[in-house]
Amino acid sequence: MISGAGRILLLFGLLLAPPAARAAVPACDLPLELLQASAALPATARAASAGRLRILVVGGASVFGPGTSAPAAAWPARLEALIRARNPQLQLEVVTRGARGLTTAETADIIASELRTDPPNLVLWQAGTAEAVRGLALDEMVEALNSGLTKMISAGVDAVIMDQQFSRFLRANANVDAYRDALRLAAAAHGVPVLRRWDLMWHWADNNQVDLERAARSERAAATDLLNECLARAMQVLLRDGVDEARGRPGPRP
Amino acid sequence: MRQFIRGLQPASGVGAGRDLRADAFRGIALWFILIDHMPGNRLGGLTLRNIALCDATEGFVLLAGYAAGIAYGATLDRRSWSFAAASLLRRVGTLYVAHIFLFVVFTAQVGYSAAALESSAYLDELHLDVFGEQPYLALLQALLLRFQPAFLDILPMYIVLLLLLVPALPLLRRPALLMALSGIAYVAVRLFDLNLPNWTGGGWFFNPLAWQVLFFTGAALGYAPPRPGAGRSVVPVVPFHPGLVAASVVTLALSAAVLLVGDYREHWLAELPLPLAELLTTIDKTGLHPFRLLSILALAYLLGHAVPRHAPWLRGRLAAPFVLMGQHGLPVFCAGIFLAFLGRLALEMDDRWLMQAAVNMAGLAALVSIGVVAGWYRLREKGEARYPAAAAADRLQPAAASSTTAT
Repeated sequence: MISGAGRILLLFGLLLAPPAARAAVPACDLPLELLQASAALPATARAASAGRLRILVVGGASVFGPGTSAPAAAWPARLEALIRARNPQLQLEVVTRGARGLTTAETADIIASELRTDPPNLVLWQAGTAEAVRGLALDEMVEALNSGLTKMISAGVDAVIMDQQFSRFLRANANVDAYRDALRLAAAAHGVPVLRRWDLMWHWADNNQVDLERAARSERAAATDLLNECLARAMQVLLRDGVDEARGRPGPRP
Repeated sequence: MRQFIRGLQPASGVGAGRDLRADAFRGIALWFILIDHMPGNRLGGLTLRNIALCDATEGFVLLAGYAAGIAYGATLDRRSWSFAAASLLRRVGTLYVAHIFLFVVFTAQVGYSAAALESSAYLDELHLDVFGEQPYLALLQALLLRFQPAFLDILPMYIVLLLLLVPALPLLRRPALLMALSGIAYVAVRLFDLNLPNWTGGGWFFNPLAWQVLFFTGAALGYAPPRPGAGRSVVPVVPFHPGLVAASVVTLALSAAVLLVGDYREHWLAELPLPLAELLTTIDKTGLHPFRLLSILALAYLLGHAVPRHAPWLRGRLAAPFVLMGQHGLPVFCAGIFLAFLGRLALEMDDRWLMQAAVNMAGLAALVSIGVVAGWYRLREKGEARYPAAAAADRLQPAAASSTTAT
């Protein structure tokens, strides 16, 4: 699906990974063309320079890494560990909010209330799954995204959107593409990067790196751990790209 | 193959004036619908939706309206409103039964692929299987057309559009009034956000109350008023005008630009003023956004003038399969939805090139065969009707014999 050029193997971090994850250290391919932020994350860059970063992760069930071997293996927890390992002196706080089957409007409400009480520097917003799966109104999803992103930007908070999980079952039984496109466009209209989870997971499935739907029952927990690890690494690359963009010095791109 | 095409048979006087362009484009639209209904199909990157803000659905609805305007308009003039209404209702009944059949197929497919892919543990947050959770209620809602699974949303819209045509039939003779009413309804529906209710929340994926404007546009274009003493006049067309051509070209170029930026350079959107960028994210298909409506009308206008009514290629070998598909739109469409199920199952198992090629070739071949068989059948049926006395005499004896054995 994706050309060989521009791929990097992220093997660093391997030594710094905690024992829980070391057993399933991934060699997952992180296709750079999917991981360019194409947008700056200025608030995150400022917070990181100041040595204090607060990240809010909001979404449906997948933010808690269902099916993983331990809560620490969920992608937000792995992302936190990866950032800590890279920047040990950074005061980092990662807060995860969400619940199974939340719509985009509902997660937007969570974000709005967090913005009022304890504003983060960066919001990782996993959106659009409930709508796509249940065939809910596309325009309501877009409205929730547009108003939510406007609020965050005017509050000086960075945002990254995460789209749906790739699944052959979902692809065959729900009209996911329409929702995915709408999500991508809404994010782009606000200059907000998207972690293209669908494309990444499709790529991993195509290359037999992580394929939950084909994993045997006994291997499923390990495969889910691996998926969450890979997603966390992908998110880390995307965030670093956004921060580099904000600092006006694009990171080295092979 | 070409001998089965209506309007191409040398002896047929009735179908000689038939506009094969509408048939050919309808056939292509039906093929695109099949392709676009199989997510993961690589051919889906080559259909109309990739270069215009409208896609095969818009084309299908416009041409369905066009065909309905020709057929039911003629019935209205030859017979009466009540007869035309009755035949419309009969068509609606057929569509409804077809939809329920496809619903049953869909349910079976979800159950099958859920089991085949062991996805229950993985897709934890997905309540896709509403049928498994509340089967009786889901069945009732499906019968009421309030539960429309993904990819089963075009037929319900088509059903409602044909129902709307029943009272609107006499207005075909007053196209200005018809289009004024239809346009007002479209604007009101969009302004007040009206839609038919959907059980799982929100409204119909294709809102028929908005899409009717496209359908009635097609119907008004298709209707040919009777000429006193000289049969029917030629279907009226929107006249050629350089200004309209220019406007259409600009519309399509803008629509392609918006689409291509959205697909390949979406970060350019961030450079636009926010209200404009947000406007571009809200081009909805559900309520047939004005940009989509304009795109399909512009495309139809340009194609209508670029392809002359008697273009030789329409009668050629290459166009014949599509013309036949278009002439028998209903069975081809329903079969297409059904084939899309099979195609999705196949691509779910394996989406590499070999399977992609097999699925697409088998799909197109199946659609073409249905068109050919339907054309052949219609020809035979008409052939018999042309000799009513002989046919009746023929039928008399076997009918009597079979009635004793069958009952």
